Amino acid sequence: MNNPSAVTGALKSRRRREAVFNGLTFALLVILTLLVIFPIYWIFRSSLMTNAELYAYPPALVPPEWRWGNFPATLEQFPFWTYLRNTFTIILPSVLGATITATMSGYAFARLRFRGKKFLFALCVGSMLLPTMVTLVPLYLAWNKILGLGGTYWPLILPHFCGGGAFNIFLIRQFVKMVPRELDEAATIDGCGPYRILFSILLPNIKSAMIVVALLKFIELWNDLLQQVVYINKQEDFTIVLGLSLFKGALKSDWSKIMAATCMAFVPGIIFYLLGQNYFVEGIVMTGIKD
Amino acid sequence: MDRTIKRPRSRMQRLEGRAAYVLIFPSLVGLSLITYIPLIAVFVLAFFSWKGFGPITFVGIDNYVRLFTRDPYFYDSVKATVYYALLAVIGSMIWSLIIALMLNRRIPARGFFRAAFYLPYVLPAMAVYLGWSWLYDYNHGLFNYLSTQLGLGRIMFLDSARLVIPSLALIAVWLSGNLIVIYLAGLQNVPRTYYEAAEIDGANAWQRFWKITIPFMTPIIFYNLLMSLVTNLQVVTPALALTNGGPGNSTTFLSFLLYRSAFINSRMGYACAIAEVFFVLIAVFTGILFATSRRWIFYMGDERE
Repeated sequence: MNNPSAVTGALKSRRRREAVFNGLTFALLVILTLLVIFPIYWIFRSSLMTNAELYAYPPALVPPEWRWGNFPATLEQFPFWTYLRNTFTIILPSVLGATITATMSGYAFARLRFRGKKFLFALCVGSMLLPTMVTLVPLYLAWNKILGLGGTYWPLILPHFCGGGAFNIFLIRQFVKMVPRELDEAATIDGCGPYRILFSILLPNIKSAMIVVALLKFIELWNDLLQQVVYINKQEDFTIVLGLSLFKGALKSDWSKIMAATCMAFVPGIIFYLLGQNYFVEGIVMTGIKD
Repeated sequence: MDRTIKRPRSRMQRLEGRAAYVLIFPSLVGLSLITYIPLIAVFVLAFFSWKGFGPITFVGIDNYVRLFTRDPYFYDSVKATVYYALLAVIGSMIWSLIIALMLNRRIPARGFFRAAFYLPYVLPAMAVYLGWSWLYDYNHGLFNYLSTQLGLGRIMFLDSARLVIPSLALIAVWLSGNLIVIYLAGLQNVPRTYYEAAEIDGANAWQRFWKITIPFMTPIIFYNLLMSLVTNLQVVTPALALTNGGPGNSTTFLSFLLYRSAFINSRMGYACAIAEVFFVLIAVFTGILFATSRRWIFYMGDERE
């Protein structure tokens, strides 16, 4: 390897090898992406066909006719807008509460000195590993018997005003730690207290982390079925997922309509994701799980 | 020794402490009222028989005795839970690491690919299971069309006790986009200089992968493994959304058994006994993971605590 031309030669062949390898990776990724997206496409395509068309053999890859009319027809039996409104009545305040309270705790754990901090933080970490399933029954009983709030949305909303979950507190704490301490110190010298520092110095710097928390919370609640099944029992209070379950139970195997309803349930999540995509990636990259 | 030198706390420090308690107050409420106190309540309630209304009777360890000796579902339920969790965890860990490694290469349209692999994760679970049940449908489903084309004949993906768990685990792998994004974040933190040094020393891609990428990634792998294990052991959605515990009781996961005991059969105490067992099961699994972690997690500069 002492010969310079041999070195450049080796480098060139290495680069060429890398280019080939990247090309193969790209091709494989295209195939795998198609595989991952295909189920969604298939559900979508099924929502635009009649049952007779769905049962045809071999199945058509593309709908023979794009029957958009399936959606209004489905809406007659599947009150999507009511369900959507109910879902957001639960999700929006929850997301707000989680984001605000997680920011408060995350800031305190990152910056402030107080007695019992280590112990409380350990409790917080521990709660991350505690399955929600375990405490389901006592919480249900407490909401219904002690607080008498069974049959309302409160049991689904209020818990999110209690710190927003350990993971989110972590995430905010991590972000606050990345803001240079000198900023706080300068503000302290100028006479700012902890609240002022949080509001005017830190909030502008951790905005993206808060958006990430909000998005993660949104997805978590958007994905939930168990809590809603347990706490919601009146049909007029049903959310999208409960409505979907009811709809499926009523229609059995009218796959055309069931798939149309499924597609409708897909849409809000996809829109939110597309809007917040960059924040997600940035947020998760910067969480620094390594800590 | 700090205690002996009692310094008067400054006004600033007192203010700071007070502000801290105000700020963490919501979390304190959460940690006490919705996490740790209910955890204690579960222990207590497990000694009682209660329908959720009417009289409460103390029954000692009867709930546990019944669970371990007479419940016809219990052992199958543990088996189903562990089987599902292992398949889902192993499958999604491997799949997402491979995808993340591919996405970490210098290729065009990375953002698009990443978005595509993450997409399933943002769909509501109920809709996902409903959609997949159509794909898995015995008579008209896409997968059965493909399997007959391949000469395998029709397959009962969701209607046979033998296949239902692998079929559901496949959906879990499909949903594992969040693991991919976390892996990607980890891969971007591996210092480039190590690769350059290794290349100069003549290490090939395979060696670089095993000697640099994997050791650096072990903390992330641990994190993903832990989270995915805890999540998948808690599996309940597919049973609620799709299988209702069947066929037979092949998907009566522990969480579902708990749910059914409490909310269908109104046996609150009994459900708490199940919750206890469930708690122990998860503690055992995470305990094993933590115990072995010291042997395989690599920390920069060996900075173990």
